[in-house]
Amino acid sequence: MKFSNSFSLILLFALILFTSLPTNASEHLQEIVRANDLYSEKNYTKSAQAYESLIDKGVHNGYLYYNLGNTYIRMGKTGPAVLNYIRARKWIPRDENLEANLKFAIQQTQDKIELPPQGTLGTLFFWVNDFNLSELINIAMILNMVFWAALALWMCFRIAPLKIARNALLGFLLLSLFSIGVKLINKSDLDLGVVLAKRVEVKSGRADDAVTLFQLHEGALVKISDSHENWLEVRLNDEQKGWVPKTAIGT
Amino acid sequence: MNRVHFKKIALLFLVATLNLLTVSHSFGQNVSVSATVDKNHLSLEDVLQLSIIIKGTQNTPPPELPSLPDFRIVSAGTSSSTQYINTQRSVSITHNFRLTPMNTGTFVIGPARVRANGKTYSTQPITIKVEKPATQGTIGNKNAFVVTSLSSKKAYIGEQLIYTFRLFHRVDAKNLNLKLPFDKAWFSKEELGEPKSYIKVINGMQYHVQELSTALFPLKVGQHEIAPSVIDLDLLHPSQSRSRRDPFGQFFGRRTQAEHKVLRSKPIPIEILSLPDGAPKGFENLIGQFEISAKPGKNNLEVGDTTTLTVTISGKGNVRDISLKEPPLKGYFKIYPDKPEFHQTVQDNQIFGKKVFKFALVPLEAGNRILPKFSLPYFDSAKSQYRVVETQPISLTIRPSAAKEELNLVQSGKQNIPAPKPEIETLGRDILPIFTKLEKFQNTRTDPHSLTFLGTGFGSPMILFLLAAFLIKQQKRMKHDVAYYRRRNAYKNATQRLKQMSSFEHSDSKEFGRVLSEILREYIGNKLNLPGKATTAEEVEIRLKESDYESANMTRKFLDKCETLQFAPIASGSTKELLGESENLIKLLEKQS
Repeated sequence: MKFSNSFSLILLFALILFTSLPTNASEHLQEIVRANDLYSEKNYTKSAQAYESLIDKGVHNGYLYYNLGNTYIRMGKTGPAVLNYIRARKWIPRDENLEANLKFAIQQTQDKIELPPQGTLGTLFFWVNDFNLSELINIAMILNMVFWAALALWMCFRIAPLKIARNALLGFLLLSLFSIGVKLINKSDLDLGVVLAKRVEVKSGRADDAVTLFQLHEGALVKISDSHENWLEVRLNDEQKGWVPKTAIGT
Repeated sequence: MNRVHFKKIALLFLVATLNLLTVSHSFGQNVSVSATVDKNHLSLEDVLQLSIIIKGTQNTPPPELPSLPDFRIVSAGTSSSTQYINTQRSVSITHNFRLTPMNTGTFVIGPARVRANGKTYSTQPITIKVEKPATQGTIGNKNAFVVTSLSSKKAYIGEQLIYTFRLFHRVDAKNLNLKLPFDKAWFSKEELGEPKSYIKVINGMQYHVQELSTALFPLKVGQHEIAPSVIDLDLLHPSQSRSRRDPFGQFFGRRTQAEHKVLRSKPIPIEILSLPDGAPKGFENLIGQFEISAKPGKNNLEVGDTTTLTVTISGKGNVRDISLKEPPLKGYFKIYPDKPEFHQTVQDNQIFGKKVFKFALVPLEAGNRILPKFSLPYFDSAKSQYRVVETQPISLTIRPSAAKEELNLVQSGKQNIPAPKPEIETLGRDILPIFTKLEKFQNTRTDPHSLTFLGTGFGSPMILFLLAAFLIKQQKRMKHDVAYYRRRNAYKNATQRLKQMSSFEHSDSKEFGRVLSEILREYIGNKLNLPGKATTAEEVEIRLKESDYESANMTRKFLDKCETLQFAPIASGSTKELLGESENLIKLLEKQS
């Protein structure tokens, strides 16, 4: 009797945990509908403003960034378009439409710089690229929960299948935690920036009168390797790097 | 030992001295040069052996032969000799040459010159008479002869002729070297395979026959003479010196004597005729006998489907040179011609050829379509007339394509290779549309990974587990640990019983005291895991003190009071006080436990 009471308690806790997860943000939907309608009416400037205002309010959604990217493409602003597509990738990395539109947007740029390749860790943990951080965390949480439940069950009923399940779940849990680590490392290593200005001169130092090393144009993808006051260090590869004003780059 | 050594040295010295003497003597020899031939009369089939003999020295360069335009000269090696006659040493060297006569007549082999010891020596001239070989009528007496033949003495330009060379020999023949002198300006030729070998009896005599055939295709019009074919060979005549009865001779094989011969065939005249007028349209100098056939891969097909039209031309003549134009089907079919395949066979010393043309056809329109005939005009040399052979018309039923797509087919050469997928031309590029389904925008989060969220998500299952583990462990202990079970339930049981007592009116104080004492002792017994119910108040006090209970003395006093009550009853009002006192005592003991 007491044993069943304990289980009821565990289930109650789990239920509380799940129900406490935030799922809805319905208060923004009306504004999204309005922005989509403006897009359909080809009123791209107002549509972009509507999407931007939602983002300013703290609404983060991959499809919202995607739609905003599309709006900027229609406005002929490849820089903000690429930037918003890049932002959307963090949320909806598996979306085929997004990949297609990002490629299209890059092709519209003058420099046509492709996305940097994945590093060794990214290649080894290849599935990490297909999930956003939130999804990876959720997966790890579920695995964490199931693992502890399996451990508890195994304590009650020490049978071989439960032991196998316990060990397997532990393995998956550790793998999911590693994946989160890899995602975070990749995120910090591949801090991408997009040139928003029509043209930007990449300087050898953090001064306007420094030597211009090369020029980049709107929509060019760069890796941001350092930041100092109003300047960002950007690099295209191991050889081509330099400093640009922060205002010229969107991150 | 020393004596032996001395003898050896003396012998060597003697030999060396003798040698020096003879060498010095040889320098003093007179040099003489002479030329000899093995015969002065010979036929065109014979070979003359010319030997230049140089006596008195062996250190001379090869002799310089005179100009001999009527002979083909081949070196036959050298031989040298050294002779000692009455201590006189004589040396000589002989240079041998093999002269093959090219023409008949009387020829003088001029002096050959030899340089020796700084002087030039000349040989004497030799007169040679070369005659024609024996005529055909005397073939039967010959050991070897050659015969050449041509399939026709009259031929049209481009017609296939068979030139056959036959060597007849009664004795073994070796080192055969045949030259078939065809003029490239007049003929093109094609080999007809390996030479044949068979036996034939002529005039009652058995001959081995070596036969070689070549196909000739005349290139020029006019009278021409095919030059004689020439074969060099060694005839191996059996030697008569050894008796046939000699078993050793038979055992070691018959001794033979080689005779070098050059055999020539007769020249063959030929008249090459031009083709008559009236050549049909499309005639491309095809001469011989030919057949043509055409066959489609399938007669019933869909638009966009592929079929292979195979046209086969075979026959005797220059099949290799045949070319075939694409059928005039533009607009109705896409046509992809394949590389023609050519096969040649030789039957009865005749070249037969087969050339296969393949066209992959892709219909562009539905309907019934008749493929036009293929015609092949040629000149039949056997009948001396032009002819035109044609294929049968072919009917194709073309159904509309099951797929309604625009055709953009690409077909490679062979039918069994599937056609590659059509390439769709990209006309424009654009972005994909925006997302409008609202459920996609539902999952919006301002702070998706707050520490509280992560802590709850990852920490709560662990806490729940620890809680559950604790409960499970406790359950198990309750089940298996009696002392723990009694201790855990002691207070609960005692308070329950006290409550039960409080709900009843206790008229019998004796019984009341007993039960109260029992409850207390039972509680202490459970707490301390004592067997049964603690018997006396003293014992209870001792045990409580052992377990560091501060209220041990108070407990004993209370138990004493309960015992007293059993023997000295009190008023009912006092029982409630005792109940309250017992409850407080148990609470106190519970705290101290």
